[in-house]
Amino acid sequence: MKHSQLKEIIKKKASKIEFAIVTNLENGLSEIYEPGKSLSKEFEIHKEQIDNFFKLKKNGVIENTEIFIETYIRPIKVIIVGAVHIAQYLVDFAKSLNFEISIIDPRGYFASEQRFPDMKIINKWPDEAFKEIETNENSALIALTHDPKIDDPALQHALNKKFYYIGALGSKKTHENRCQRLKEAGFNNEQINSIHGPIGIKLGGRSAPEIALSIIAQLVSETYKK
Amino acid sequence: MKNSFDEKILEEANDWLNANQKVVLATVIQTWGSSPRQVGSRMIVNETGDFSGSVSGGCVESAVVRECIGLIKDNKPCKKIEFKVSNESAWEVGLACGGEIAVYLEQIN
Repeated sequence: MKHSQLKEIIKKKASKIEFAIVTNLENGLSEIYEPGKSLSKEFEIHKEQIDNFFKLKKNGVIENTEIFIETYIRPIKVIIVGAVHIAQYLVDFAKSLNFEISIIDPRGYFASEQRFPDMKIINKWPDEAFKEIETNENSALIALTHDPKIDDPALQHALNKKFYYIGALGSKKTHENRCQRLKEAGFNNEQINSIHGPIGIKLGGRSAPEIALSIIAQLVSETYKK
Repeated sequence: MKNSFDEKILEEANDWLNANQKVVLATVIQTWGSSPRQVGSRMIVNETGDFSGSVSGGCVESAVVRECIGLIKDNKPCKKIEFKVSNESAWEVGLACGGEIAVYLEQIN
């Protein structure tokens, strides 16, 4: 592989484009594949199989050939509501797991750049903030403020958009009250029960990094269940 | 849904190249049986044998490093190597897990 091609791959990864690298294992030639774009002759004859690998988000060697395909998929979007202490550790874990984090917090003193360097922080109320983030059923929400004014609108947005993971911080009692409010807002039991509350897997820890670990573990586990 | 878990090895390779190091990229391209790392797992090696990333759980990395240095010395563009189940005497370069893997080495230049 040429260094220039490596740079191009890194650039594509950074711009969150879905693509694949196809390599001829015999002569070492490789190319970047993007759906709809044509490849050079030696790869074009395997187009159908390459398309298949790409659709299935699979890596591997095409059967009876020496062509290897590695697919790159977009990072999963995770929206954290509440730029609190736990969020600072979540950001650290998410970096090594390649989740794409956005933080929403209308409270400026929490959502400061100094507390979250190099992070996308939206210093607005959830209803306004979600206008700036494209979300769908492949998105996740972690609500951390346990303030109904901030968490509830975000939870409602996530439920309406069918996020695959929705978690909300708070005790059992806090969560019961939250469920009651969502019921009154017109959400059904199935929707409400899909919220992970109290959030996270049972680790037993109570410190901010431990709670962050239990949340991120649950998020990864739910990602693979989907 | 598959997570886009990514270990940023290519980004690290770019840093090494920018620091004028010679870099070989090793990629797991096939696995059989119970192998520790999945297809697409990566590792980089420079001319002095420094390495980052992994292609197994530590079972065959030393052999991969040797092969990569050889590739740089012989100035070859690429090579495919396979590792099979280890036996007792060859504990250093085999997969104790009972799996088999094929690793593709390529120089980046």
